[in-house]
Amino acid sequence: MTMIDELVPQPENASTRDAIRRTAHAHRARRVAISRVMMILCGIALVLTSIPLVLLLIQLIVRGSSQLNATFFTKLPQSPSLVDPNAIGGVLNSIIGTLALTIYASIMAIPVGVLTGVYLAESRSKLAATLRVIAQTMAGAPSILMGLFGFTLIVKYLQIGFTAIAGSFALAVLMLPVIAISTEISVRNVPDTLREAGLALGAKPHKVSLKVVIPSALSGIVTGCLLAVARAIGETAPVLLTIGGGYLNEWRPLNPVSALPLSIYMNAKSEWPSQRAQVWGIALVLVAFVFVLSLTARIWASRKQKRNS
Amino acid sequence: MPTSTSEIASQREELAEKSASSSRGWYQWLLIGVSVLFAVVSISFVGSIIIYSIPAWAHPGTLLTGKGWQSPTGPFGGFAMIIGTFETSLIALVVAGIVGLGTSLSIVFLVPGKFRNIIATLVELLAAIPSIVYGLWGFLVLAPWMLKTFDPFVNKFPFASTIFGSPGQQFGPSLMLASIVLSVMILPTFVAISREVISAVPSEIIEASYSLGATRWQVIKDVVLPTAKIGLFGATFLALARATGETVAVALVAGGVANAQFHLLYPGTSIAAWIATQFGEAQGTEVSALMALGVLLMLINFSLSLISRSLVNRQRKVLARV
Repeated sequence: MTMIDELVPQPENASTRDAIRRTAHAHRARRVAISRVMMILCGIALVLTSIPLVLLLIQLIVRGSSQLNATFFTKLPQSPSLVDPNAIGGVLNSIIGTLALTIYASIMAIPVGVLTGVYLAESRSKLAATLRVIAQTMAGAPSILMGLFGFTLIVKYLQIGFTAIAGSFALAVLMLPVIAISTEISVRNVPDTLREAGLALGAKPHKVSLKVVIPSALSGIVTGCLLAVARAIGETAPVLLTIGGGYLNEWRPLNPVSALPLSIYMNAKSEWPSQRAQVWGIALVLVAFVFVLSLTARIWASRKQKRNS
Repeated sequence: MPTSTSEIASQREELAEKSASSSRGWYQWLLIGVSVLFAVVSISFVGSIIIYSIPAWAHPGTLLTGKGWQSPTGPFGGFAMIIGTFETSLIALVVAGIVGLGTSLSIVFLVPGKFRNIIATLVELLAAIPSIVYGLWGFLVLAPWMLKTFDPFVNKFPFASTIFGSPGQQFGPSLMLASIVLSVMILPTFVAISREVISAVPSEIIEASYSLGATRWQVIKDVVLPTAKIGLFGATFLALARATGETVAVALVAGGVANAQFHLLYPGTSIAAWIATQFGEAQGTEVSALMALGVLLMLINFSLSLISRSLVNRQRKVLARV
């Protein structure tokens, strides 16, 4: 006796009863078979997704790690020649450039982004509602447009030229909405009871915001900032149009700099096999930066969550 | 003393209202000032690109439907880039949408619980990989492979050359390669969002349908997908927005040729990739023509994200009702 037998009505006539039972069983067998096939198809989709992504990661690690040596991290790039086709030097200038760009961009974006996020969370004005729509739209804007913006405003209009400051401005515009949105979410997640307790003790609203709300939301805010930095560090399009490139160890804001994504883009098309091979090393370093930042962000967020719950 | 919950709620509203508006001290003004600064940056972001593109709009017809791009004097036709953008991202979206939906369903319904979080984290990490790395992989690994294996294979089928073009004369980068790289690139993004949407379907209604004797697929088809439908469309539009705006990956693998044609195995380009590849040498009117392409890209992207946001908001309302 299966469950189906209990569910079907039991007519007096034995042959009718059998017929109903057979139909019900056949129906169930069909449903189960269809379900099996569809779930297998879903499983195949999972495998199909994994294949290219796993291949990419393996190739990145295998081909990239063979490029990492002391020269790679400490020397400037060199142009290979027919005499010495393997003289490609290192990528120190790009590492320094990327760090400089990221730091300048963070200095510009984090204070403005966090304060905008706090305002979005705490205000109910029309301005806040409008800003929220703007931030959400900007967060998804193609990064090449940030490059065009950096070019028009800093390079052309302010006549500062292709410089680190132009590139980091473009990256800061990219980070701003991301930071604002994640800050808003984490400030909103602070329980109202905390706020009210502060107000009930007679604290001024700004004291409550600064001493109660922002400290409780801090881990979420830091997570959002780290994820924004992780996104900015790997962006190629904005820096392509703004930083000018360069083959020196340069970090000063008003000079042209290089960056890791930019040298990947430039060297991938090189006619020298040695330079094309080195690109994998650069990509590995870049992905390592991004993974460390996003994993730190995630671990931070989950640890805080555990403590809260 | 307030007695009912509604009274308490209204008092809380009042308190919050008061704390927000009462003392407009230095702190309030600081927040408002910084937010206005953010608004100014955003407005000048849109404005400056539009202003610099104005000279190019003298010939809007050429810009939208013209087939050639003659640098440095013009005419500058954007037809090839517009086609390339839509062709590559729509193909990528169809592939990534179907495969990605199956993937998120199997992450939620097939993968055992203890691995689920690991896979979810892994997918989010993959979504964080810079797009240039996907482009690099497509350019150095996939392109030679496609030239050797994929292209000849595709053209063994009858009539394939009407869609794909004739094989054997290209050097690797093509619109097809760009579509494949884009679909691999947007897969993690799409899976990360659609998995979240699917796992947000309340477990009560899933368990209820299991208890009525539904098979796993019936639960998915009749309960999960209808409930998550709008949110999944939102994820789709978000993925499409990401694909249309992708720059350097497409610039590496599409071939960078302004050919107004539909054959997938020939090189082509997209709006964003064309801006990136041409900007270095552009002068005068060509710069504003590229800016005009940027305005076009902005319009496409903003409307896609508007649609996806309204869909996600509607999904939230659907879930609140369930």
